[in-house]
Amino acid sequence: MGWREYFLSALIVNIFQMSLAFIIFVFQNILPLNPQGFPGLNLDLAFMQVISFATNTNLQHYNGEGVCNNPPDCYPLSSMPGLSYLSQMTAVQFLQFTSAATGLCVAVAMVRGFVSHSQNMGNFYTDFVRSLTRLFLPLCFVAALIFVGLGVPQTIGGYQTVTTVEGATQTILVGPVASLVSIMQIGTNGGGYYGANSAYPFQNPNPASDIFQILLMLLIPTSLCFVFGQLLGKRREARPIIIGAYSLFALDLLLAFIPTYGLGRGIEVRFGGFFSTFWTVVTTAVTTGSVNANLAGMNPLVILSAFMGMLIQSAPGGKGVGLMYMVMYVVITVFIVGLMSGRTPEYLGMKINARDVKFVMITFLVHPVIILVPTVLAYATGAASAVRVSTGSTGFTRIFYEFTSAAANNGSDFLGAAGNTPFFNISTALVMFIGRFAPIGLLLALAGSMINRKRSTEIGLRTDSITFTIVLVGSILLLVVLTFFPFLALGPILEFFQKRVNGF
Amino acid sequence: MTSKPNRPTSPRFRSSLTSTKTLLDSLVRLNPLSLLSNPVMFIVELTFFIVAAMAIYPPAFYPVANSSMRIYYVEVSLILLITAWFSTLADALAETQAKNTASSLRSLESEVQSKKIVTEADVRRIVTTPSTALRKGDLILLEKNDVVPIDAEVLEGIGMVDESLLTGESTPVRKAPGDEVIGGSRVISDTLTARVTVNPEDTYISEMIRLVESSKRPRTPNEVAVTTVLIGLTAIFTIIVVALLGLSVTLDLAVDLSVLIALYVCLLPTTIGALLPSIGLSGVSRLYQRKIVAKSGRAVERAGDTDVIILDKTGTITVGNRQAVEFIPVSSHTEKEVGEAAFLSSWHDDTPEGRSLIRLAYEDGFVPRELNALGVSEVYEFSASTRTSGVKISQGTGFMLPKGDKSGRERGRLRRKFEAHQEAGSIIGEDEIEIIKGAPDAIKKIARSIPSNFDALVDEISSQGDTPLAVTRNREVIGVIRLKDVLKPGIREKILSVKVMGIRPVMLTGDQPLTAKSIASEVGIDEYRPEAKPEDKYDIVTREQAETRVVAMIGDGTNDAPALAVADVGLAMNSGTQAAKEAANMVDLESNPAKIIEVVMLGKQLLMTRGAVTTFSIANDVAKYFAIVPVMFATTHPELKALNILGLGLNTAVLSALIFNAAIIPLLIPLAMKGIRFKPTSTMGLFIKNALIYGVGGIIVPFIGIKLIDIALLSIGG
Repeated sequence: MGWREYFLSALIVNIFQMSLAFIIFVFQNILPLNPQGFPGLNLDLAFMQVISFATNTNLQHYNGEGVCNNPPDCYPLSSMPGLSYLSQMTAVQFLQFTSAATGLCVAVAMVRGFVSHSQNMGNFYTDFVRSLTRLFLPLCFVAALIFVGLGVPQTIGGYQTVTTVEGATQTILVGPVASLVSIMQIGTNGGGYYGANSAYPFQNPNPASDIFQILLMLLIPTSLCFVFGQLLGKRREARPIIIGAYSLFALDLLLAFIPTYGLGRGIEVRFGGFFSTFWTVVTTAVTTGSVNANLAGMNPLVILSAFMGMLIQSAPGGKGVGLMYMVMYVVITVFIVGLMSGRTPEYLGMKINARDVKFVMITFLVHPVIILVPTVLAYATGAASAVRVSTGSTGFTRIFYEFTSAAANNGSDFLGAAGNTPFFNISTALVMFIGRFAPIGLLLALAGSMINRKRSTEIGLRTDSITFTIVLVGSILLLVVLTFFPFLALGPILEFFQKRVNGF
Repeated sequence: MTSKPNRPTSPRFRSSLTSTKTLLDSLVRLNPLSLLSNPVMFIVELTFFIVAAMAIYPPAFYPVANSSMRIYYVEVSLILLITAWFSTLADALAETQAKNTASSLRSLESEVQSKKIVTEADVRRIVTTPSTALRKGDLILLEKNDVVPIDAEVLEGIGMVDESLLTGESTPVRKAPGDEVIGGSRVISDTLTARVTVNPEDTYISEMIRLVESSKRPRTPNEVAVTTVLIGLTAIFTIIVVALLGLSVTLDLAVDLSVLIALYVCLLPTTIGALLPSIGLSGVSRLYQRKIVAKSGRAVERAGDTDVIILDKTGTITVGNRQAVEFIPVSSHTEKEVGEAAFLSSWHDDTPEGRSLIRLAYEDGFVPRELNALGVSEVYEFSASTRTSGVKISQGTGFMLPKGDKSGRERGRLRRKFEAHQEAGSIIGEDEIEIIKGAPDAIKKIARSIPSNFDALVDEISSQGDTPLAVTRNREVIGVIRLKDVLKPGIREKILSVKVMGIRPVMLTGDQPLTAKSIASEVGIDEYRPEAKPEDKYDIVTREQAETRVVAMIGDGTNDAPALAVADVGLAMNSGTQAAKEAANMVDLESNPAKIIEVVMLGKQLLMTRGAVTTFSIANDVAKYFAIVPVMFATTHPELKALNILGLGLNTAVLSALIFNAAIIPLLIPLAMKGIRFKPTSTMGLFIKNALIYGVGGIIVPFIGIKLIDIALLSIGG
């Protein structure tokens, strides 16, 4: 397939899958496996959620388990939407698998464009099926069993109402959690079974499951960096990708761990400050978006670090897409600074021309547009105040974070179920969709134009050198983080300085 | 050594920097319509109009403008206008420079009066016509001392033409019917009739000069790509500033529009935006200053990518002629005998090789007494079939020929074909001396006996890379002359610098392998092609290109045209054939083949300058953010002052950043126009060095600059 055909195949398959999931969400009340009797999702919420899962974002404007009216006894579950077992297993999990597979496929297709003598970008359907049957399903099967062993529930037996030792009545919110957690972490999806995500004890019962989930999140994005070198047949070329990604990751960590004080309310005491912070950095660096602690309780610098992860998107980034972004950063860095070596810039022996630069620049443009326009609109239309978000630094951080998370297909957020308003549902849905498919299309087009390009065997600028990696990291920080500096200054940076004065 | 070729700065160029014409030109270019081609600068000018409007009527911009700040708006708008003007000034300067170099080339074919032949009713009439009024197909008369008005083809007559102005070659060139005469050359003997082959506006040089002079010269692919980056960055920063404006209103941040615009302009890649056109133009001008005309800017950039450079040995590496360095006698003969024989046989040989023989013999004191008999000698001219030449002298007759008086024509009278004598067998009289010198194997055929150590001696000389020339007297081998190739001064360093930059030099020569090897190793070339014919160039070029390498080469003959046409960088000699010049993408008016190396260096310099200024421009944004953002929100969020790491004044920070942003443009104009200096090192070495200077420097310099400007502004109470 050429890049157009490959991209359109991926897009159509995804849209078809979204339609299926949409029907399940909307009609879950009349479909089987709904022991809790959850109503069907509103159209705008269902629209937003299918896009959210299909774009690997997993931004959730609902609580999967429903909302307890009078905890710990939950029945009757409130009218706030929850998801039936069928929805969790078929709509959510299904899309979590397919979106991860799509990301992997397009990344591999992009790399094929850079491989010399490749004739086309492969067949999407073949890639798609193989990545599911040979990679994700076996991995998740094993991971799910391990989670069950660690104490994560896996049942479709309905919520259990039990009498506790003290004699009180308590509803135990169980379901097919382990299978969902395995794919949500392996597939860098991040959408939890529960509203509180991995901060909820059943989704993440103990430090062992916590560490295991962190490892699963990092597994495939990291492996893909090596796959890149393997596919190219030049393993050394994977060096700037992997070292660059992990240098940025290290910077994120450094920033997050600068504050040794000030972990506020909402921090999950079971894991403590270190694991909560570490998780937050990882989940944004690989754009998974699962959380094991409430973001509102984090130090603003941890939030700033989370922003960095989401804005860069390749430290090491989400499944497949992180690698694509990194290759894009390499191309633009080679172009801008490579000229200084006195040769027309080349990557992997291919001259970078105006057309390539155009694709990269438009990809760069996508993020500011889809983050900043809705952020301003949220305030201008009063949608922000409707969900009781202030115009101060804390409030701005929340809105800015919402759209950054949506654009980066991360999925962690401050709003949660509070974001279930038509404005936020529709705006984030559009942002997620564009944020996912526009860069994929553009970068596939970039790779498509690389196919059969004349390749020089002479080595000009060594892109596999440490020097280049340092320059690459510098230019990523310069081009990406600086772009958003004024907004970060109004959000987490301002919040940090304010809290330093007023106390955390 | 620095590869920075010496910069011929014409006095005209220096005076242009101050000329009012250039200044006026730069002001005219501020017309927004003419700025449209430069999107970054167009936007800067647009923002000037907005801030100017704010100064004139602030209430129109409520709530992001304040009437109390009108003076401030005036200041900001002025700086914005100056920023745009600096950009047009850079353009105007580069164009003046280009025009000056171009017109100095044009003076080579300045307007002259020509003698046009008009045939009316079968009567030929001479009409004096300015060269610019000639048309293709016109007949012109060229008399002694006339300047050839335009490129033309000789129809009648044979004459000598001095092309030294064009080619640097001082020897006049003989032109016969069918030959091309180049406009600007001078007829020094005889009368020619010629047909004009081009229209005045289409002459080769005119065409190339027009390319430089035209402000609408096509952008090179690399320039297009850089422009794309600049447009992309501009779009990104536009969104950012518009979003900030929106937030400023919705979040009540009380940010002034002029401050936002200042941030916007500071973030825009104004430095590279302002200098991009002049960098490209100056790059081509630098080539012109070296008397090389390029058909496109693209060719110059391509030169920077060169992987393989094909060098002709003769003319590029060696001065072109061998010189005698040693007389080696064989058998019982003495060095003096060999020297004297060489002297006699070379007397009529006017080639540099022959002259070097006489010089060596004279310096060693081997002046033969038969010298005065040379006047009535018979000359055996060199012929390619025998590969020998010689002289036959009747002893004791004739008179002493004064050395200065030996014009070609006089000697020619005595010449006869040599081959006839060889066939005639032994016709050497008692009192006659016949001296023949030539290639050893050719001499072996005509010599009566071959000395036993002759072959060993010849091989030894060859193996040292020198050329042996055997000398016989009356068909007896008396010795061998060692001829040595003389390297061009500085060629070894040039080749070293090429190799250091990762470019592979390949030497082409018609010499036999041993000689080729010796020369190659002497100048440090690892790859050479001996016994090469001009046609081989094409094979080498296509073979290297098939292996994806970028090939640069020089050529002059018609045989070189196919290779020049396919080579990525083809530099033709102006002295060469029209076909070669048309096939090449550059022509050296001075016909110095060694300049191909300079072309490569200039190409690299052009790319490096563009990359350096781009990187510098983008890296500058870090400091500008830290200057403006803290004070931008100062009214509502004083906590952000903690980011004011430079400690800038609240009222002066924005102005300081804006002034720095403007001032950096004229400061970099000299860099843009002269190109960055570099020492030849590896590609990675150049990259690291430039990344440190322009990347890291680009981050640090504005911090210092903005702080200094801020101190200055505060001290004058701004």
